[in-house]
Amino acid sequence: MRPRRLTASSNSGTTSDSLGRSVTALRPRFRPTNVRRRKEITAAYLFLAPGFFLFALVILYPIVRAFQISLFNWSIVPGTASHFLGLHNYSRAIHDPIFWRALENTGFYMAVTVPGQIVLGLATAVLLDAHVPGRGLFRTIYYLPVVTSWVVVSLLFQYLFITDGGLANWILHDNLHLVGHNIDWLGTRWMAMLSLGILGIWKGIGWAMVIFLAALQGVPVELKEAAAVDGAKAWARFRAVSLPAIRPVIAFVTVMLVIGSFNVFISVFLMTKGGPLDETQVLLTYMYRWAFSYLDFGYGSALSFILTLIVFVLALAQLRLFRRPAEAHS
Amino acid sequence: MRVGRLIVFLGVAAAVASMAATAGARTSSARTTTVTFWDAYSAGGGEVKTLEGVVIPGFEKTHPGIVVKDVTIPYDDLHQKLVTGVAGGQLPDLVRTDIIWVPELANLGVLAPLDQVMPDFKKYAARVFKGPLTTNYWKGHYYGLPLDTNTRIFNYSPAALSAIGASGPPKTFAQLISLSAQAKAKGYDLYAESGTSCWNVCPWIWSNGGSVTNKTYTKASGYLNGPKSVAAIQMLVNLYKAGEMPGIIVNSNAGLGTYDGINQNKYVATLDGPWMDAIFSAAYPKTQVVGSLVPAGPAGSISVVGGEDIVMTKSSKNKTAALEFLRYMLGYGTQAQLALAGQMPVLTSSSKWLTRVHPYYATYVKQLLTAKPRTPTPKWTQIDQVITTDVAKAFQGSESVQQALTDAATQIDGLLK
Repeated sequence: MRPRRLTASSNSGTTSDSLGRSVTALRPRFRPTNVRRRKEITAAYLFLAPGFFLFALVILYPIVRAFQISLFNWSIVPGTASHFLGLHNYSRAIHDPIFWRALENTGFYMAVTVPGQIVLGLATAVLLDAHVPGRGLFRTIYYLPVVTSWVVVSLLFQYLFITDGGLANWILHDNLHLVGHNIDWLGTRWMAMLSLGILGIWKGIGWAMVIFLAALQGVPVELKEAAAVDGAKAWARFRAVSLPAIRPVIAFVTVMLVIGSFNVFISVFLMTKGGPLDETQVLLTYMYRWAFSYLDFGYGSALSFILTLIVFVLALAQLRLFRRPAEAHS
Repeated sequence: MRVGRLIVFLGVAAAVASMAATAGARTSSARTTTVTFWDAYSAGGGEVKTLEGVVIPGFEKTHPGIVVKDVTIPYDDLHQKLVTGVAGGQLPDLVRTDIIWVPELANLGVLAPLDQVMPDFKKYAARVFKGPLTTNYWKGHYYGLPLDTNTRIFNYSPAALSAIGASGPPKTFAQLISLSAQAKAKGYDLYAESGTSCWNVCPWIWSNGGSVTNKTYTKASGYLNGPKSVAAIQMLVNLYKAGEMPGIIVNSNAGLGTYDGINQNKYVATLDGPWMDAIFSAAYPKTQVVGSLVPAGPAGSISVVGGEDIVMTKSSKNKTAALEFLRYMLGYGTQAQLALAGQMPVLTSSSKWLTRVHPYYATYVKQLLTAKPRTPTPKWTQIDQVITTDVAKAFQGSESVQQALTDAATQIDGLLK
């Protein structure tokens, strides 16, 4: 229940509601509403508290701690002194060519996998939204890669993309003769990033599909029928009715996929190890190397904090971009 | 009230159970001491089986009151596990660590100096090979004892060698070059190498008379990029560019791994350690692999020392029991049992009986006489990455060998300061 709008009287200094009744007269009637509202707010905060506590514990605290560590030459041994460096580790990152390469590679991975997963996930969802026989089976099949271990599929894809003796080259070169020589899938920067992107898309389609399918099933049938009565063909109905209706879901999927793409780690770590010659480093593998191989947790934390900032800014930008016009004006 | 009674009953039951558990734990801890031991023994060649099936039961039988909790971690994960253990203050009592990590762990101050805390340290130090023992030395103290040692030798398939028309493995650099061309003509790669780290390329540098640093490990410029080091890498680069070495030296995904390649008659040989025989027996029983010395250069046949040390952490709460197990691991019986599983013993006396355990150990023992350790420094992981990256640049042709090694040496100079 919305509280009544109060207006202040400029002449008398007393307050009256929109109907002109004095607040004093209304006060006894407002009190129970305020108490109820306070209770509602308290209840809401109590419900939010466990979630916020977890969020603070596993997200906020590590972010703050990572920032703190990034300002030091951090000693990992508890109880020993760490040397304060200020923003030196951030300056190092700015002057580190491999950091920029890792950032480019991560951006490339995002540019390949996010549209790939959205387009293919949406297309699959549209197909499965129709009443086709074996729909449940197809849903399961498409979702299977999502629940498969990253380690298993990364090693599997590594075998597929081995230059000499891999399945991809066996098909393209040895059987179909589409290419004149074996492609060095994981040996050159962009081919390796593309191979990693293909794995990312394959593994993520199912997740996007499930979300889109749920959204498509929530689009009112009456709207589609009305459009059909008006003579709209299937594509026009999809473009003019379904797509706008699932716009918030597309925004959600995009934000989540962008965040996910910036967190790419296992596939790169297992398939290329960031090599050859650091050509396929992404932000997390590079951060991992500095932190866990070289024990330079200060620099590693600076890299992870930069990653956090990038993801935060991107997520904000996307949320603004996907706002409905009404929300944008409010 | 039924609910009230139920709550009282549950409360009493919980209290009784808690007291019983506490009492049980006290009785149990009074009886036994648990020693936690982290290691990266390989499950593939029977090492873990020997440790868990023979060594630990044997120790527990002869040392009632001590239980060994063995935690086997894949080699690739052990370093990270140690790092997180250090940061979280959750290290075990004992660690079987790669020899290259000891200076790093000692420098972090998490290892107990054995020469101070182990009363009979000198007795055990006198029993082991000097080379592996020195890998435990850091800033005036010994932080561990060697547990097993190894080196890389030229492991080849006699069938493949015969197929390329060679009468024997290459004994010199010159023979390696000529046989590589001969192998290529027959569709083989004579020598397959799986990377460009020091473990991979240093045997060639040292055999050619080059080095990574000076003798005091303070400077790489003038050594890693010296003419002999450059010539050794140039020889490998020439083989690679002539198509006589597989691309896996630069990119592990370029082709079959060394073992698969030898098994599938694509490669004739690789440099590898004593575990190779056990792994081939288990995984590729139809392929025979024989070892010979690393082909000799002007400075002789010099390989790289590998192996593991056993160290005790400062945080260990069971130092007496942990030291007992450490001593047991260096006992003659334990070393012989682990030798059967592919682990080369570190006891000097083992050279008398080692070849009776496995004839193939003879070549490793001979190779170890001249093998060299990698630079003992806490920054070794970073230095090795520099070598890996810059040598790979020379193979890929983006830089000349001289330029790549000079770049590497400059970076290493900074890391050695």
